[in-house]
Amino acid sequence: MAKKASSSTLQVSSTKSGLKKSLKRNIGFFFILPWLIGFLVFRLYPFISSLIYSFTDFQLFKGVSEVGLMNYEEIFASKKIMKAFNVTFKYAFITVPLKLVVSLFIAYILNFKIKGVNLFRTAYYIPSILGGSVAIAVLWKAVFRDDGLLNTALGFFGIAGPQWLSDPRYSLFIICLLRVWQFGSAMVIFLAALKNVPLDLYEAAAIDGAGKGRQFFNITLPLITPVVFYNLVTQLCQAFQEFNGPYIITQGGPRNSTTLISLLIYNSAFKTYEMGMASAMAWLMFIILTIFTAIAFISQKYWVYYSDDEGR
Amino acid sequence: MMKKITALLLALIMVLSMAACGKEEPDVDTGAKTEDTTKEDNTSKEDNVKEEEPQADTSDAKEPVTIKFSWWGGDSRHEATQNAVKKFEETYDWITVETQYGAWSGWEESMATAFATGTAPDVNQINWNWITSFSSDGSAFKDLNDYSDIIKLDNFGQSFLDQCTLAGELQAIPVSLTGRIFYWNKTTFEMAGIATPTTLEELYAAGETFKSVLGDDYYPIALGEYDRMILMVYYLESVYGKPWVENNQLMYTQEEIQKGLEFIQSLEDKHVTPSIQTILGDGAESLDKNPKWMEGKYAGIFEWDSAASKFQSALNEGQEFVVGEYLPDMGEHQGGYAKVSLAFAISETSEHPEEAAMLINFLLNEEAGAEIMASERGIPLSKSGLQVCKDKGLLNETVTEANGKVLSWVSFPLDPKFEAAELKSSDGTYYDVMAGLSYGDYSIEEAVTVLIDGINDVLSN
Repeated sequence: MAKKASSSTLQVSSTKSGLKKSLKRNIGFFFILPWLIGFLVFRLYPFISSLIYSFTDFQLFKGVSEVGLMNYEEIFASKKIMKAFNVTFKYAFITVPLKLVVSLFIAYILNFKIKGVNLFRTAYYIPSILGGSVAIAVLWKAVFRDDGLLNTALGFFGIAGPQWLSDPRYSLFIICLLRVWQFGSAMVIFLAALKNVPLDLYEAAAIDGAGKGRQFFNITLPLITPVVFYNLVTQLCQAFQEFNGPYIITQGGPRNSTTLISLLIYNSAFKTYEMGMASAMAWLMFIILTIFTAIAFISQKYWVYYSDDEGR
Repeated sequence: MMKKITALLLALIMVLSMAACGKEEPDVDTGAKTEDTTKEDNTSKEDNVKEEEPQADTSDAKEPVTIKFSWWGGDSRHEATQNAVKKFEETYDWITVETQYGAWSGWEESMATAFATGTAPDVNQINWNWITSFSSDGSAFKDLNDYSDIIKLDNFGQSFLDQCTLAGELQAIPVSLTGRIFYWNKTTFEMAGIATPTTLEELYAAGETFKSVLGDDYYPIALGEYDRMILMVYYLESVYGKPWVENNQLMYTQEEIQKGLEFIQSLEDKHVTPSIQTILGDGAESLDKNPKWMEGKYAGIFEWDSAASKFQSALNEGQEFVVGEYLPDMGEHQGGYAKVSLAFAISETSEHPEEAAMLINFLLNEEAGAEIMASERGIPLSKSGLQVCKDKGLLNETVTEANGKVLSWVSFPLDPKFEAAELKSSDGTYYDVMAGLSYGDYSIEEAVTVLIDGINDVLSN
């Protein structure tokens, strides 16, 4: 009897210890569970369902009546959609390099020992926090409308400023400028990278007679290329997905000159309820973005320097 | 070990809280969750009722009910509606009304999603064309004929109810009728030394006078893309005497529409209205927020009669805002249309349709509700609601004058598809055609083709 009791105690204790071990082994899973649920519900499910919808004519209040490639065919046949892709490419190719240059330049300056540098760092970061909001729309319009701040300032020099917001030749530039203005996060990352460049390299270069410019292009830039690469990829992804700027400032106008593909996807999905078409456009955008990201990754072996890689 | 247990517990709490967030949504739609949360308040209400009326018949003892009510509008409408809802809750003390409201911008998109997913509130202020867009088979809204014992339908003319009837179901109760009419800033016209126009000829002449007397920045009227479309239809109906669309068919030929677009273009050419580029360059979200309207540089609008107060209050001090006349020399017929400005509907998914119907009846037909609502949603169509407002002098004078002029002039029906999103939205056909013409991207002939194709696409869908 005593033997039996002792064996059952042993069993309980071994079950407990098994449970404990399994809990210990899987504890990480519990930690990521909230994220996992969010990912499955809000990412994976829409991701897969949008792929399915993209091959249907799914309309919000009419359902599906046709299945096939018609959305993709229509995308390539539609001048409006092709124009939106074109505008998106322009937008990305203007903003990404410009933002990288501006953020690196400001980070480079803020890396010097200047009085009140923390204040400047904060001030330059603020636009990134503001993001695309109604307040920014009001500000941008106040600056760029026909009789806005910019044209008034130009007027003092006898220059008649253009119609920034309503002339299709300039409107995209205004939207790009908003994006470039929000360079704070890229700048902070650059700043961290600049801080990691060993000072002795600069000292050695200075002894060899290299000026600031030479030091920047021959020491700083090569050493921070991994961060440049990181910023390039993230900025590229963000630029192709940009929505807020054109939505709040120009609503895609004038004459669709600022209609980025994300705006068209939104209009298609929520204004005309063509979910199938919106999904197809989103998937095409995803494929294009994947190609550009892949190109960036492949190209890194030619220009990104990893110190643990014994050179290029 | 303690740390691990704490971490595990925290993770579980996070998971559960997420699940709770996820669960809230469907509950909100059905009212079940809100019912739970308000149950405590209502239980006390119920207990009070029971204490006061211990002899009450069990059939009179009401279960506490929570319904949701949504609308869009400006601040004054929000305030009036909230007050009316409060009064309703006092009158029907077992019903709690949760309100959802906001500005028009983005409202249609969010409500469309709500109707499509069956998560819309019980009572909804809807745009007239939503019946066609969201519920052409009657699947989004309840048939209000089924609640005729609660909503006094005989307070509404049958023709108005017919406008909200589709698929054999009365899907909404019309609140008011509205149409477009001219409004003028009399002060600016006086500055130019002329009277406000009463004929098309005078309007053309005003363009020239404004330019020569006041300068290039001054225009007799400002017309956005959609304004131009409605004005063109008004013009064509005046000239040709037939509705724009009838029996799902566009009634105008290519040549006739060309004449309409030429008319619109002539207004720009003769300095009657600024170009679309000029208006966009002003950087204003809408015309009533445009500094040039506020200052009187744009001295006229062609707007809904119900929008009068919004434009009037936007004017800078010392400017006189007057309701204009229709222009009789446009054609032999009385062009233009009036339509149901907005309506109240009950979602098909509502679990408390009777209480929802009671709210609609209270807001439109009952004295206490109509008195508070007054003309916040236009001049009431409900006979009893209108009578209350008239008796107590609650109607806005300008809106009343404008509405009276609209209803006594316009003589054509409006097809609900005229307002289809594919045509009316900012990237729709109307905007494309009118802006394309103004920017010079389209010739008149091209604009005609784009317009006809766009409309036929919608009509055939």
